[in-house]
Amino acid sequence: MPISVEVPESIAGVVGALGDGAVVIAGGTEVMPRINTEPHDLRALVSLRRAGLGGIELQDGEATIGAAATLARVGADERLAFLRPVIESIASPTIRNLATVGGNLFVEQPYGDLAVALLALDAQLDVAGPGGSETRGVADVADLPAGHVVTAVRFALPAAFRYTKAMRRRQNSASIVTVAAVLGAEPRLALGGAGRKPIRSAAAEAVLAAGPLDRERAEAAGRAALDDAEPFTDAYASAWYRARVLPVHVRRALIGAAA
Amino acid sequence: MRSRVIELTVNDEPRELLAPPGTTLLTALRETLGLTAAKRGCAQGTCGTCTVLLDGEPVMSCLVPVETIDGATVQTLEGVAGADGGLDEVQAAFLEGFATQCGFCTSGMIMAAEGLLAANPEPTRDDVVRAISGNVCRCTGYESIVNAILDAATRRTAVVR
Repeated sequence: MPISVEVPESIAGVVGALGDGAVVIAGGTEVMPRINTEPHDLRALVSLRRAGLGGIELQDGEATIGAAATLARVGADERLAFLRPVIESIASPTIRNLATVGGNLFVEQPYGDLAVALLALDAQLDVAGPGGSETRGVADVADLPAGHVVTAVRFALPAAFRYTKAMRRRQNSASIVTVAAVLGAEPRLALGGAGRKPIRSAAAEAVLAAGPLDRERAEAAGRAALDDAEPFTDAYASAWYRARVLPVHVRRALIGAAA
Repeated sequence: MRSRVIELTVNDEPRELLAPPGTTLLTALRETLGLTAAKRGCAQGTCGTCTVLLDGEPVMSCLVPVETIDGATVQTLEGVAGADGGLDEVQAAFLEGFATQCGFCTSGMIMAAEGLLAANPEPTRDDVVRAISGNVCRCTGYESIVNAILDAATRRTAVVR
Protein backbone atom coordinates (compact mmCIF):
# COMPACT_ATOMS: atom_id res chain seq x y z
CA MET A 1 0.00 0.00 0.00
CA PRO A 2 2.52 2.65 -1.06
CA ILE A 3 1.49 6.22 -0.34
CA SER A 4 3.11 9.26 -1.86
CA VAL A 5 3.87 12.11 0.50
CA GLU A 6 4.40 15.55 -0.96
CA VAL A 7 5.85 18.31 1.22
CA PRO A 8 5.34 21.56 -0.73
CA GLU A 9 6.99 24.76 0.44
CA SER A 10 4.22 27.20 -0.50
CA ILE A 11 0.42 27.47 -0.63
CA ALA A 12 0.58 27.33 -4.42
CA GLY A 13 2.65 24.16 -4.12
CA VAL A 14 0.03 22.61 -1.83
CA VAL A 15 -2.84 23.47 -4.19
CA GLY A 16 -0.82 22.18 -7.15
CA ALA A 17 -0.19 18.86 -5.40
CA LEU A 18 -3.86 18.38 -4.42
CA GLY A 19 -5.01 16.58 -7.55
CA ASP A 20 -6.35 13.08 -7.99
CA GLY A 21 -7.84 12.53 -4.57
CA ALA A 22 -4.82 13.63 -2.60
CA VAL A 23 -5.51 14.33 1.06
CA VAL A 24 -4.11 17.17 3.14
CA ILE A 25 -2.11 16.13 6.19
CA ALA A 26 -1.10 18.71 8.78
CA GLY A 27 -0.28 17.32 12.23
CA GLY A 28 -1.18 13.75 11.24
CA THR A 29 -3.20 13.03 14.36
CA GLU A 30 -6.34 12.32 12.31
CA VAL A 31 -4.95 11.00 9.02
CA MET A 32 -2.19 8.74 10.32
CA PRO A 33 -4.34 6.60 12.67
CA ARG A 34 -6.53 5.80 9.64
CA ILE A 35 -3.51 4.87 7.56
CA ASN A 36 -1.89 2.87 10.35
CA THR A 37 -4.89 0.88 11.54
CA GLU A 38 -7.87 0.99 9.16
CA PRO A 39 -8.64 -0.19 5.66
CA HIS A 40 -8.33 2.91 3.52
CA ASP A 41 -7.83 4.02 -0.04
CA LEU A 42 -5.54 6.95 0.62
CA ARG A 43 -2.80 7.04 -1.97
CA ALA A 44 -1.44 10.57 -1.85
CA LEU A 45 -0.79 12.87 1.09
CA VAL A 46 0.09 16.55 0.85
CA SER A 47 1.78 17.85 4.00
CA LEU A 48 1.34 21.42 5.25
CA ARG A 49 4.44 21.20 7.46
CA ARG A 50 6.71 23.27 5.23
CA ALA A 51 4.09 25.44 3.51
CA GLY A 52 4.62 28.43 5.80
CA LEU A 53 1.23 28.11 7.49
CA GLY A 54 2.36 27.95 11.13
CA GLY A 55 2.22 31.61 12.04
CA ILE A 56 0.02 33.50 14.51
CA GLU A 57 -0.62 37.20 13.95
CA LEU A 58 -2.67 39.73 15.87
CA GLN A 59 -3.53 43.09 14.44
CA ASP A 60 -6.24 45.60 15.28
CA GLY A 61 -8.07 43.16 17.51
CA GLU A 62 -8.14 40.40 14.91
CA ALA A 63 -6.26 37.13 15.18
CA THR A 64 -5.01 35.26 12.12
CA ILE A 65 -3.78 31.76 12.82
CA GLY A 66 -2.09 29.67 10.16
CA ALA A 67 -3.83 26.37 9.46
CA ALA A 68 -0.69 24.44 10.39
CA ALA A 69 -0.10 26.24 13.70
CA THR A 70 -0.01 23.56 16.36
CA LEU A 71 -2.48 23.56 19.22
CA ALA A 72 0.55 23.72 21.56
CA ARG A 73 1.71 26.92 19.91
CA VAL A 74 -1.74 28.52 20.19
CA GLY A 75 -1.98 27.43 23.83
CA ALA A 76 1.39 29.03 24.62
CA ASP A 77 0.56 32.38 22.99
CA GLU A 78 -0.11 35.00 25.67
CA ARG A 79 -2.10 37.11 23.20
CA LEU A 80 -4.57 34.24 22.83
CA ALA A 81 -4.77 33.41 26.54
CA PHE A 82 -8.58 33.28 26.37
CA LEU A 83 -8.22 30.13 24.23
CA ARG A 84 -5.99 28.31 26.72
CA PRO A 85 -8.85 26.46 28.47
CA VAL A 86 -9.99 25.26 25.04
CA ILE A 87 -6.53 24.07 23.99
CA GLU A 88 -5.81 22.39 27.32
CA SER A 89 -9.08 20.45 27.12
CA ILE A 90 -7.95 18.77 23.89
CA ALA A 91 -6.08 15.44 23.93
CA SER A 92 -2.63 15.40 25.58
CA PRO A 93 0.32 17.82 25.43
CA THR A 94 2.14 15.30 23.22
CA ILE A 95 -0.69 15.23 20.69
CA ARG A 96 -1.02 19.01 20.89
CA ASN A 97 2.61 19.29 19.73
CA LEU A 98 1.45 17.80 16.41
CA ALA A 99 -2.27 18.58 16.07
CA THR A 100 -3.09 21.78 14.22
CA VAL A 101 -5.74 24.48 14.18
CA GLY A 102 -6.71 23.61 10.61
CA GLY A 103 -6.87 19.90 11.30
CA ASN A 104 -9.14 20.42 14.28
CA LEU A 105 -11.81 21.77 11.90
CA PHE A 106 -12.02 18.44 10.12
CA VAL A 107 -12.38 15.94 12.95
CA GLU A 108 -15.77 14.57 13.78
CA GLN A 109 -17.41 15.25 17.14
CA PRO A 110 -16.88 14.32 19.99
CA TYR A 111 -13.43 15.62 19.01
CA GLY A 112 -12.67 19.03 17.56
CA ASP A 113 -13.30 21.27 20.57
CA LEU A 114 -11.38 24.16 19.05
CA ALA A 115 -13.72 23.99 16.08
CA VAL A 116 -16.61 24.55 18.51
CA ALA A 117 -14.85 27.60 19.92
CA LEU A 118 -14.12 28.90 16.41
CA LEU A 119 -17.79 28.54 15.53
CA ALA A 120 -18.75 30.63 18.56
CA LEU A 121 -16.09 33.15 17.52
CA ASP A 122 -17.71 33.32 14.07
CA ALA A 123 -14.27 32.65 12.57
CA GLN A 124 -13.58 33.10 8.88
CA LEU A 125 -11.45 30.69 6.91
CA ASP A 126 -8.90 31.65 4.29
CA VAL A 127 -9.22 28.96 1.63
CA ALA A 128 -6.88 28.40 -1.32
CA GLY A 129 -7.86 26.46 -4.42
CA PRO A 130 -7.20 26.18 -8.13
CA GLY A 131 -9.23 29.35 -8.75
CA GLY A 132 -7.34 31.44 -6.21
CA SER A 133 -8.09 32.28 -2.61
CA GLU A 134 -11.41 33.03 -0.97
CA THR A 135 -12.96 33.52 2.45
CA ARG A 136 -15.56 31.20 3.96
CA GLY A 137 -17.40 30.97 7.23
CA VAL A 138 -16.12 28.29 9.56
CA ALA A 139 -19.51 26.54 9.44
CA ASP A 140 -18.96 25.86 5.72
CA VAL A 141 -15.82 23.83 6.27
CA ALA A 142 -17.65 20.57 5.67
CA ASP A 143 -18.52 21.70 2.14
CA LEU A 144 -14.95 22.48 1.15
CA PRO A 145 -14.60 21.36 -2.47
CA ALA A 146 -11.91 18.87 -3.45
CA GLY A 147 -8.59 20.48 -4.33
CA HIS A 148 -9.04 23.26 -1.78
CA VAL A 149 -7.16 23.79 1.45
CA VAL A 150 -7.78 25.95 4.52
CA THR A 151 -4.73 28.16 4.95
CA ALA A 152 -5.73 30.27 7.96
CA VAL A 153 -8.50 31.02 10.44
CA ARG A 154 -9.34 34.60 11.38
CA PHE A 155 -11.54 35.97 14.13
CA ALA A 156 -12.05 39.12 16.18
CA LEU A 157 -10.78 38.87 19.74
CA PRO A 158 -13.91 38.55 21.90
CA ALA A 159 -14.67 40.84 24.82
CA ALA A 160 -16.32 38.03 26.78
CA PHE A 161 -15.65 34.39 25.91
CA ARG A 162 -17.03 31.42 27.81
CA TYR A 163 -16.10 27.75 27.47
CA THR A 164 -16.70 24.48 29.21
CA LYS A 165 -16.11 20.87 28.22
CA ALA A 166 -17.56 17.93 30.09
CA MET A 167 -15.25 14.91 29.99
CA ARG A 168 -15.04 11.52 31.64
CA ARG A 169 -11.51 12.31 32.84
CA ARG A 170 -9.79 15.57 33.72
CA GLN A 171 -7.29 15.16 30.88
CA ASN A 172 -7.12 13.67 27.43
CA SER A 173 -10.73 12.67 26.94
CA ALA A 174 -13.27 13.31 24.22
CA SER A 175 -16.23 15.55 24.76
CA ILE A 176 -19.47 14.56 26.41
CA VAL A 177 -20.69 18.06 25.66
CA THR A 178 -18.67 21.17 24.85
CA VAL A 179 -20.06 24.70 25.11
CA ALA A 180 -18.41 27.84 23.76
CA ALA A 181 -20.02 31.26 23.82
CA VAL A 182 -19.20 34.85 23.00
CA LEU A 183 -21.31 37.26 25.02
CA GLY A 184 -22.34 40.74 24.02
CA ALA A 185 -25.04 42.52 22.05
CA GLU A 186 -25.13 39.68 19.53
CA PRO A 187 -24.33 36.61 21.58
CA ARG A 188 -23.16 33.43 19.86
CA LEU A 189 -23.28 29.99 21.41
CA ALA A 190 -21.82 26.82 19.89
CA LEU A 191 -22.10 23.22 21.01
CA GLY A 192 -19.90 20.16 20.68
CA GLY A 193 -21.00 16.61 21.41
CA ALA A 194 -24.47 17.73 20.33
CA GLY A 195 -24.18 16.46 16.76
CA ARG A 196 -21.46 15.07 14.53
CA LYS A 197 -20.53 18.63 13.61
CA PRO A 198 -20.24 21.67 15.89
CA ILE A 199 -23.66 23.35 16.12
CA ARG A 200 -24.66 26.97 16.62
CA SER A 201 -27.74 27.21 18.80
CA ALA A 202 -29.94 29.99 17.45
CA ALA A 203 -32.53 29.22 20.12
CA ALA A 204 -30.06 29.71 22.96
CA GLU A 205 -28.67 32.83 21.32
CA ALA A 206 -32.17 34.33 21.11
CA VAL A 207 -32.66 33.75 24.82
CA LEU A 208 -29.31 35.36 25.63
CA ALA A 209 -29.99 38.35 23.39
CA ALA A 210 -33.33 39.07 25.08
CA GLY A 211 -31.95 40.48 28.32
CA PRO A 212 -29.25 40.60 30.96
CA LEU A 213 -27.52 37.35 31.85
CA ASP A 214 -28.62 35.95 35.18
CA ARG A 215 -29.14 32.45 36.48
CA GLU A 216 -32.68 32.21 35.11
CA ARG A 217 -31.61 33.32 31.66
CA ALA A 218 -28.61 30.98 31.68
CA GLU A 219 -30.89 28.06 32.58
CA ALA A 220 -33.40 29.09 29.92
CA ALA A 221 -30.58 29.24 27.35
CA GLY A 222 -29.55 25.74 28.38
CA ARG A 223 -33.08 24.40 27.85
CA ALA A 224 -33.30 26.25 24.54
CA ALA A 225 -30.00 24.76 23.36
CA LEU A 226 -31.67 21.33 23.42
CA ASP A 227 -33.87 22.48 20.53
CA ASP A 228 -30.82 22.69 18.28
CA ALA A 229 -28.97 19.62 19.57
CA GLU A 230 -29.01 16.16 18.05
CA PRO A 231 -26.98 14.26 20.62
CA PHE A 232 -25.48 10.90 19.64
CA THR A 233 -24.43 7.77 21.46
CA ASP A 234 -20.83 6.63 21.50
CA ALA A 235 -18.34 5.03 23.89
CA TYR A 236 -18.12 8.21 25.95
CA ALA A 237 -21.80 8.87 26.61
CA SER A 238 -25.28 7.96 25.47
CA ALA A 239 -27.45 10.39 23.53
CA TRP A 240 -29.82 10.41 26.50
CA TYR A 241 -27.03 11.40 28.87
CA ARG A 242 -25.72 14.10 26.58
CA ALA A 243 -29.19 15.62 26.30
CA ARG A 244 -29.67 15.33 30.06
CA VAL A 245 -26.47 17.22 30.93
CA LEU A 246 -26.34 19.71 28.06
CA PRO A 247 -28.46 22.40 29.77
CA VAL A 248 -26.34 22.10 32.91
CA HIS A 249 -23.11 22.69 31.03
CA VAL A 250 -24.57 25.56 29.02
CA ARG A 251 -25.51 27.21 32.31
CA ARG A 252 -22.07 26.47 33.81
CA ALA A 253 -20.33 27.89 30.75
CA LEU A 254 -22.38 31.06 30.96
CA ILE A 255 -22.37 31.84 34.67
CA GLY A 256 -20.02 29.31 36.29
CA ALA A 257 -20.52 26.17 38.34
CA ALA A 258 -20.94 27.91 41.68
CA ALA A 259 -23.53 30.50 40.70
CA MET B 1 6.58 6.06 -6.09
CA ARG B 2 10.19 6.13 -5.13
CA SER B 3 11.88 5.93 -1.80
CA ARG B 4 13.51 9.13 -0.67
CA VAL B 5 16.72 9.89 1.13
CA ILE B 6 15.90 11.54 4.43
CA GLU B 7 18.48 13.24 6.62
CA LEU B 8 17.90 13.42 10.35
CA THR B 9 20.01 14.24 13.34
CA VAL B 10 19.24 11.32 15.63
CA ASN B 11 20.64 11.36 19.16
CA ASP B 12 23.18 14.00 18.12
CA GLU B 13 24.46 12.02 15.14
CA PRO B 14 23.73 12.83 11.48
CA ARG B 15 21.88 9.92 9.90
CA GLU B 16 20.65 9.28 6.38
CA LEU B 17 17.99 6.77 5.55
CA LEU B 18 16.07 5.58 2.56
CA ALA B 19 12.36 5.93 3.30
CA PRO B 20 9.73 4.17 1.19
CA PRO B 21 6.69 6.44 0.65
CA GLY B 22 4.53 6.73 3.76
CA THR B 23 7.14 5.50 6.23
CA THR B 24 6.43 6.75 9.75
CA LEU B 25 9.18 8.13 11.94
CA LEU B 26 8.55 5.18 14.26
CA THR B 27 9.12 2.63 11.52
CA ALA B 28 12.22 4.48 10.30
CA LEU B 29 13.67 4.48 13.80
CA ARG B 30 12.89 0.85 14.55
CA GLU B 31 13.34 -0.91 11.24
CA THR B 32 15.86 1.24 9.37
CA LEU B 33 18.00 2.78 12.08
CA GLY B 34 17.71 -0.12 14.51
CA LEU B 35 16.59 2.07 17.40
CA THR B 36 13.92 -0.05 19.05
CA ALA B 37 13.29 1.81 22.31
CA ALA B 38 10.26 3.59 20.86
CA LYS B 39 7.54 0.94 20.71
CA ARG B 40 4.61 0.40 18.40
CA GLY B 41 1.56 0.22 20.65
CA CYS B 42 -1.73 1.48 19.28
CA ALA B 43 -0.42 3.20 16.10
CA GLN B 44 -3.17 5.79 16.67
CA GLY B 45 -1.48 8.32 18.92
CA THR B 46 -3.47 7.08 21.88
CA CYS B 47 -0.94 5.12 23.95
CA GLY B 48 2.25 7.19 23.81
CA THR B 49 4.76 4.35 23.88
CA CYS B 50 6.29 5.61 20.62
CA THR B 51 7.00 9.08 22.09
CA VAL B 52 10.26 10.70 20.96
CA LEU B 53 11.50 14.29 20.94
CA LEU B 54 11.12 15.95 17.54
CA ASP B 55 13.05 19.23 17.45
CA GLY B 56 12.93 19.09 21.25
CA GLU B 57 9.20 18.48 21.68
CA PRO B 58 7.60 15.18 22.63
CA VAL B 59 5.50 13.74 19.81
CA MET B 60 4.02 10.38 18.89
CA SER B 61 6.42 9.07 16.25
CA CYS B 62 3.74 6.75 14.80
CA LEU B 63 1.86 9.84 13.56
CA VAL B 64 4.74 11.48 11.70
CA PRO B 65 5.47 10.59 8.07
CA VAL B 66 9.25 10.76 8.05
CA GLU B 67 9.30 12.43 4.65
CA THR B 68 7.69 15.51 6.22
CA ILE B 69 10.53 16.08 8.71
CA ASP B 70 13.63 15.90 6.49
CA GLY B 71 16.41 17.76 8.30
CA ALA B 72 14.82 17.53 11.77
CA THR B 73 16.44 16.64 15.07
CA VAL B 74 15.14 13.53 16.82
CA GLN B 75 15.99 12.21 20.25
CA THR B 76 15.04 8.72 21.36
CA LEU B 77 15.52 6.91 24.63
CA GLU B 78 18.78 5.53 23.25
CA GLY B 79 20.16 9.07 23.23
CA VAL B 80 19.19 9.90 26.79
CA ALA B 81 22.00 8.11 28.63
CA GLY B 82 25.36 9.89 28.95
CA ALA B 83 28.24 9.23 26.56
CA ASP B 84 29.74 6.92 29.16
CA GLY B 85 26.56 4.86 29.18
CA GLY B 86 25.53 6.16 32.60
CA LEU B 87 21.83 6.67 33.21
CA ASP B 88 20.49 10.21 33.24
CA GLU B 89 18.44 11.54 36.14
CA VAL B 90 15.09 10.41 34.72
CA GLN B 91 16.30 6.91 33.96
CA ALA B 92 17.95 6.60 37.38
CA ALA B 93 14.79 7.81 39.14
CA PHE B 94 12.64 5.32 37.18
CA LEU B 95 15.01 2.46 38.01
CA GLU B 96 15.35 3.25 41.69
CA GLY B 97 11.67 4.14 42.11
CA PHE B 98 10.46 0.86 40.51
CA ALA B 99 8.63 2.99 37.93
CA THR B 100 9.44 0.75 34.97
CA GLN B 101 7.00 -2.00 35.98
CA CYS B 102 6.39 -4.15 32.85
CA GLY B 103 8.46 -1.73 30.76
CA PHE B 104 6.33 -1.34 27.66
CA CYS B 105 5.33 2.25 28.35
CA THR B 106 8.67 3.20 29.90
CA SER B 107 10.54 4.60 26.92
CA GLY B 108 7.57 6.80 26.03
CA MET B 109 7.08 7.88 29.63
CA ILE B 110 10.76 8.83 29.94
CA MET B 111 10.72 10.80 26.68
CA ALA B 112 7.55 12.66 27.74
CA ALA B 113 9.31 13.38 31.05
CA GLU B 114 12.45 14.59 29.26
CA GLY B 115 10.31 16.96 27.20
CA LEU B 116 8.59 18.26 30.33
CA LEU B 117 11.77 18.79 32.34
CA ALA B 118 13.52 20.56 29.47
CA ALA B 119 10.67 23.08 29.30
CA ASN B 120 9.81 23.15 33.00
CA PRO B 121 12.68 22.05 35.28
CA GLU B 122 10.64 22.32 38.48
CA PRO B 123 7.22 20.90 37.65
CA THR B 124 4.39 20.48 40.12
CA ARG B 125 2.69 17.12 40.51
CA ASP B 126 -0.17 18.41 38.34
CA ASP B 127 2.30 19.48 35.66
CA VAL B 128 3.70 15.93 35.60
CA VAL B 129 0.26 14.34 35.42
CA ARG B 130 -0.66 16.59 32.50
CA ALA B 131 2.64 15.95 30.72
CA ILE B 132 2.16 12.16 30.75
CA SER B 133 -1.59 12.28 30.11
CA GLY B 134 -0.95 11.02 26.58
CA ASN B 135 1.04 8.03 27.82
CA VAL B 136 -0.88 4.96 28.87
CA CYS B 137 0.47 2.54 31.51
CA ARG B 138 -1.68 -0.60 31.51
CA CYS B 139 0.02 -1.80 34.67
CA THR B 140 -1.86 1.31 35.90
CA GLY B 141 1.06 2.15 38.17
CA TYR B 142 1.01 5.87 37.50
CA GLU B 143 1.89 6.90 41.04
CA SER B 144 5.42 5.46 40.88
CA ILE B 145 5.93 7.04 37.45
CA VAL B 146 4.78 10.47 38.62
CA ASN B 147 6.95 10.14 41.73
CA ALA B 148 9.96 9.14 39.62
CA ILE B 149 9.59 12.17 37.35
CA LEU B 150 9.32 14.51 40.34
CA ASP B 151 12.38 12.77 41.83
CA ALA B 152 14.24 13.23 38.53
CA ALA B 153 13.42 16.94 38.54
CA THR B 154 14.87 17.26 42.04
CA ARG B 155 18.00 15.33 41.06
CA ARG B 156 18.51 17.41 37.93
CA THR B 157 18.07 20.80 39.57
CA ALA B 158 20.40 19.66 42.36
CA VAL B 159 23.03 18.81 39.74
CA VAL B 160 22.62 22.18 38.03
CA ARG B 161 23.00 24.04 41.31
